[in-house]
Amino acid sequence: MHLKYFILGALRFTVFAAVASPENPDFETVVRPILERNCVRCHNADKIKGGLRMDTHKLIMEGGDTADALVPGDPAASEILVRIHLRPIDEGVMPDEGRALEYSEVAILDAWVKAGAPWPKGATLTEKKPEPIKRVSLPEKPPESLSEAAEMVDDIIRRENVNEDIITTPTINDLTFLRRTTIDLIGRIPTMEEIREFESWSADRREKLVTKLIEHPRFADRWTVFFADMLRVRSDLPGGNQLLAYLNGSISSGKPYDELVRELISASGRANSNPAVGFILGDDAMPMELAAATSQVFLGIRMGCAMCHDHPFDDWQQREFYDFAAFFGKTKKVQSRQRGVIYTTEGNKMTVLWPPEDKAAAEDREAVRPRFPFKLTNAKETPEYLVRFEKSRELREKNLSSGDESASLDALLDAVEPTVGRPKDTVLEEAKKESELLNVHGDIYRASELRSKLAELITSPRNDFFSRAFVNRVWAELIGHGFVEPLDNFSPYVDLNHASTLDFLSQEFIASGYDFRSLVRMIVLTDTYSRTTLSAEIPITVRESSEKNFSAAPVRRMLGETLYDSIVVAGHLKDFKWPKGANNKEITREIRVPTGEYTMVENPTMMAEMPAKPKMRSDGYDLESSLQLDFNQIAKADDLAEIKAMREKSDEQIEADKMAAMQKESQQKVMKYTTETKTEIVDDNPRFNSAMRMASPAPPAHFLRVFGQPARDGLGEFRDPSSSLRQQLMMLNGRMTHEASRVGPLEPIHRVLKKDPEKAITYAYREILTRAPSDTEKSEARAILGRNPAQGLADLRWALLNSNEFRFLP
Amino acid sequence: MNACKDYNITRRRMLQTFSASMLGMPISRLLAGSEASQGKAEHVILFWNSGGMSHLDTWDPKPGRKTQGEFNPIKTTVPGMEISEIFPQLAKQMHNASLIRSIAGTNGDHGRAQYELQTGFNQSPNILHPGFGSLVVHEREPLGHLPAFISISGQAARAGHLGQQCEAYYVGRPGEKDPYLAFPEGISHARGMQRLQILEKMNARLSGNLGASAMQASETALKDAVALMESPALKAFEIDEESPQTIARYGDTEFGRGALLARRLVEQGVRFVQVNRGGFDNHGNIFDAMRNHGATMDPGIASLLSDLKANGMLSKTLVVVLSEFGRTPRINDGGGRDHWARVFSALVAGGGTKGGTIIGASDPDGMEPAERPVAVPDLHATLAHALGIDLQKEVITPQGRPMRLIRKEATPIHELFA
Repeated sequence: MHLKYFILGALRFTVFAAVASPENPDFETVVRPILERNCVRCHNADKIKGGLRMDTHKLIMEGGDTADALVPGDPAASEILVRIHLRPIDEGVMPDEGRALEYSEVAILDAWVKAGAPWPKGATLTEKKPEPIKRVSLPEKPPESLSEAAEMVDDIIRRENVNEDIITTPTINDLTFLRRTTIDLIGRIPTMEEIREFESWSADRREKLVTKLIEHPRFADRWTVFFADMLRVRSDLPGGNQLLAYLNGSISSGKPYDELVRELISASGRANSNPAVGFILGDDAMPMELAAATSQVFLGIRMGCAMCHDHPFDDWQQREFYDFAAFFGKTKKVQSRQRGVIYTTEGNKMTVLWPPEDKAAAEDREAVRPRFPFKLTNAKETPEYLVRFEKSRELREKNLSSGDESASLDALLDAVEPTVGRPKDTVLEEAKKESELLNVHGDIYRASELRSKLAELITSPRNDFFSRAFVNRVWAELIGHGFVEPLDNFSPYVDLNHASTLDFLSQEFIASGYDFRSLVRMIVLTDTYSRTTLSAEIPITVRESSEKNFSAAPVRRMLGETLYDSIVVAGHLKDFKWPKGANNKEITREIRVPTGEYTMVENPTMMAEMPAKPKMRSDGYDLESSLQLDFNQIAKADDLAEIKAMREKSDEQIEADKMAAMQKESQQKVMKYTTETKTEIVDDNPRFNSAMRMASPAPPAHFLRVFGQPARDGLGEFRDPSSSLRQQLMMLNGRMTHEASRVGPLEPIHRVLKKDPEKAITYAYREILTRAPSDTEKSEARAILGRNPAQGLADLRWALLNSNEFRFLP
Repeated sequence: MNACKDYNITRRRMLQTFSASMLGMPISRLLAGSEASQGKAEHVILFWNSGGMSHLDTWDPKPGRKTQGEFNPIKTTVPGMEISEIFPQLAKQMHNASLIRSIAGTNGDHGRAQYELQTGFNQSPNILHPGFGSLVVHEREPLGHLPAFISISGQAARAGHLGQQCEAYYVGRPGEKDPYLAFPEGISHARGMQRLQILEKMNARLSGNLGASAMQASETALKDAVALMESPALKAFEIDEESPQTIARYGDTEFGRGALLARRLVEQGVRFVQVNRGGFDNHGNIFDAMRNHGATMDPGIASLLSDLKANGMLSKTLVVVLSEFGRTPRINDGGGRDHWARVFSALVAGGGTKGGTIIGASDPDGMEPAERPVAVPDLHATLAHALGIDLQKEVITPQGRPMRLIRKEATPIHELFA
C-alpha cells in the first residue's frame, strides 16, 4: 500500500531531481520555464527593454544596449546573471517588475550558464503568464446551519484536491477530538470532569462539545492571546493593558469583528476612557507606521515596503502608500503637561506630505489627500451572502435596541462618537459635557473624521481583503497551515492555496455578520479540522503536500500559554493540593530594610545605582511566574474622578500641580535602605495562575517567551514553532513540572492510588494525555510504580508531562 | 555546521543549503571582490552599556573645555592616549586596547539606536535583523559543550531572521545557581536519570508512529539539554570556584561577577558572551552616576583584559565596550547630559586588534567627528572581519529573501588590526 506513495513521490521527484542537479540543469524542464515566466515578458519582439530580446538564442547572444547578456561558462560576465543576483531592493535588479526570482531559480540559472548555457537547436521562448488561480464552483444554495457550512468546506476542499498527490487521513476519535478542541478553543487540556461529562453524552457529542467550549469563559482568554499577537499588544506601552482588557471584553461579549476593527482604527482619546485607542498608541500615532500596520494586519497586504520606495516585489507605488497614510495624517499623540497622561487627538494640519522628505525641498511638499488604494467589489451587484449580511445586521440592531443583550453597550457607545465612559449614565454624560468645557481636556475628545472614513472602507463587506485576511489567520491557527503564508502577505506574487475554500469561508464569515464564534465553530466542525496526522512511513513530499492541501493534519505544538495552563490543570496547581505546612521550607533571602533616613535623589536614573530590587523568589524560578492582570479592574477604571478633580481646581492650583510634578521629575525623596539577609520558614505550597491573563509579552527568557510568545514589536512577526534547548531545560527541571508531578494529598489521584495503583495509572494517563494507556504502557507503568507507588507515580506523571505527546496536539 | 542549535531542519531548509552550496560562491560575492579576511578572533565578549554612555566622561575626555564636566583625564600606558579618571585600572591596560572616537551615529532614540548598534541595520518592517552575537554563532562552528552564545544580566538582541536557535542562552545573575541546569530539589541524580529513561521510551514510541520533524527536533533538543546538564563544562558557571582574591579583583558586584563569568565561559569555548549593564541614561546628575559606573566597571574590565592577556586568550578574544550613543557635550541644568548620537566612542581590545591605537577623533567639544568618521555598520564589519566572517555573505530568510549579514556599504576599520 505504501509502495504506491513511494512511486508517486518518486514521480514528483523526477522533476525535482533535474532541478537540483548541480552541474547541468535541463533546459527544457528547468531552465526554459524560469526564463519564460520571468524574462521574456519584457524582452521579446513587442517589448524590447534595455535593447535586449531573449526569445531566441541568437538574439540573447547579441546582448542588450550596455553589455553581453549571456557569456556561456562565465556567470560573472553575463549581465543577466549579475542582475538577477542583486537584492530585490537594489538598483537594476531583474526582474524589475513582478515577482522576484527564488533563490533556487537564481541557482539554476547560475549552474546553467556555468555549464555553457546549452540551448537546444532552434528553441524559441514565448512569454508564459503565471497560471491563473485554480477555482472550483461554490455551493449554489447557502448553508442552513454552521454544520452544513462545515460540510460544504470539506466538499470544496475535496474538489480542489482532485488532481493532487495527497493522502486524505481519517478523522480523529472522540477523545482525541475532545483534547484537540479543548486545547484550541479554551487553551488547556480537558479536566477529568470534562472527560467524564463528554463520555456521558451520546448523540451529537462533538457539536455539543464545540457549543460548550465556545461559550466557555476561557474562550475569550485564549483568543485574547490570538488577537494580542495579531495587533502586537504590549502591556508595557501606554494603553497596552487597557487594550488587552478591551479585546477580552469584546470577544466575550461577541462583538462583531468589523465593529471591533472600526473602533480600533477610529478611536481617539485616552486609554482609560476609550481603550480601543491602544491600537493607535501602539504605533505612537505615527501615520506611516499606522498605514503599514493597518494594511498588513487588517487586509493582509504588506504595503510597508512602499513607505520608502515603490514596493520591490509587489505592485504598490510609494505614492499609493502616502495616499493611504494620509488617513492617519492628522492624528497626534499628546502627553498632557499636568499629569503626563498620554492620549491621541486630531490636529488641523495634514502631516503626510508629497513628495517624500528625501526627494524634495520642504517648501515643495504638499499635503496629501487621503485615498483608499484597495479595490472594493462591485457595488452594483449584491451577492447572496451580502443579502444575508444585511439581514444579520438588521437582526442584531433590533436585538440591541430592545436592550436584551449585554452587548448592547457597544451599540450605544457607537451612537456617541467618540466614546467616553458609559453613555446612558447621566452622571457620566454630565462629566463628558463638563470635560469638553475644560481647555486642558477638550482636545481629547476630538474624533477623527478621516480615520472614521477609513474604518468604514476597510471594514466594508465589499472589501474582500478584510474578511480574507482574518479568515486566513483563524484558519491557520486551527488547522496549522494558512491559505497564504506568511499569513499577512496576500499578493499576486504569493501562492494562494485553495482559493475557493477561502472564498467560501470569507463569504460565510461576512454573512454571519463577522461573528467570530461562528467562524471558529464552522472551522472546527469540518472534517478537515479533525484529520489525523500522517505516519512516519509516508514520504516527506507526500506528507507536505497532504498537509498543505488540508487532507492531513500537521503536527502542531501548543501555544506557550496553553502549555503552561495545561500543566497547571494536569498537575492540580490551580488550588493548593497540599495541607498547610506540608511544604515548609527554610529559606534565606535578601530583603531591603528601610533605615528611616531619607535621601534626595536628583534623577530617577540614579536608581540604577541603588541595590537591585530583590527578586520575587530566591530560587531563580521567577521565569515561571504568572502574575495576573485584573481585566475587570482595568476595564472599569476610567478617568472621571480625575476630570472631576480637575474641574474643581483653579488655574493656580493646576499650575502649582504642574510645578510640583516637574519638581518630582528631577528630584526624588527616597527612603534609604540596607540589604539584610533573612532566614525564615515559609510554606511553599505551590499554586499557579493561568498564563492567559498575564501582562504580555512576558519578560524575555520567561517560560512563555521560550515557548514562542512573540515580542510583538515588529510587523510580520509570528510565533516561533521551533524547539529549543532552553524549552527542554525549563520543562525537565522547572518548578512547575516538578510540582505538577508530585502527588498531593488533596488531589483526586491520591485517593485512587491508595485504593488501587493500577487504577491510578489509567487515571494519570487519562488526566494528562486524555486517553487510556495501552497494555504495554500499563505494564511499563506498573514497573515504574514498583515498590514506592507515590514516588513512582510522580515519576510517571513527570515523564507524561514532559513527553512530546503532551505538548504537541493529538 | 554552525553553533546555532537548529532543531528544525526541514526539507526546504536542506534544499536551500544544498542549492546555495552547490554554487560555491554566489556571483554577487565574486563581483564585490570578496575580502579574504584572516580573522584571528575566536570569541567575543561584548559589554553592552544600555542607555547611552557618555563618551566625554569615559573614552574621549575634553580637558579645559566647557564640555569637560567633572572628570579629569589621566595618562594611560599608551603615550598620548588619555582616558577619564574614572578608569584608573583600565588606564594601565590601554596598550592592550584601542579606542574608536569617531562613531557617527544617526539615531538619537534609544530603541532605534540600540537596534542599529546591536544589529548593524536600521529597523524596518517585516524583517528582524539578528544581533551580532546571533550572527557570530550562525557563522562559526561550536566549540566545547556550553551554548555558544550567552547573555548575562539581561537580554541580548534577538536572532531575528536567523531563527530562535541562534538566540542567546540567558543567565540572570552571574554566580547565582541556574535552577534549570540540574534536576529540581529533592530529585536525586539517579532518580532523574530514571525519569529520563521513561521519557525517552515514551517519545520514541510516539515518533515511531509519527514522522513529524517537529517531534524529532524536540527529541534532539532534549538530548542536547541532558548533555548540557551532564557536562563538566557547567563548572564554568560556578564563580565561587575562583579565589576570593580574584573575585575581589574583578569587584564583587553583579558586573564584576559578570566579567569574571565571561572569562570563564570563553575559556570553555563559548563563542559570544554579552555582559549587559544599564543605568547610562543620565539626563540628570551624570557625574555621580558615572563615578559609580567607573568604580564598578573599571576593575571588572581591567582584570578581564589582564587575565586574558596572561592566559593567552586575549589574542583570540575580541573585547568590546559599546553603547547605543553618547551624550550631549552641553551639560544641562540638572547636571546631566542628554542623548547625543552624532559622535561617540567605543573600546575594542584583543582578537587580533593592535591595542594602543586611537581611531578617529571628535572635534574639540566632542560634538561631531573631526577625523575618520566611522559609520555604525562599519563597527559590525570590523567585528566580522576580526572573526573571519565573510562580509559579503547573504543568507536566505525564512521568507525566502536573500539578506546580507553585514550591510553592503560597511567597511572594516583596517587600522585596528595588527
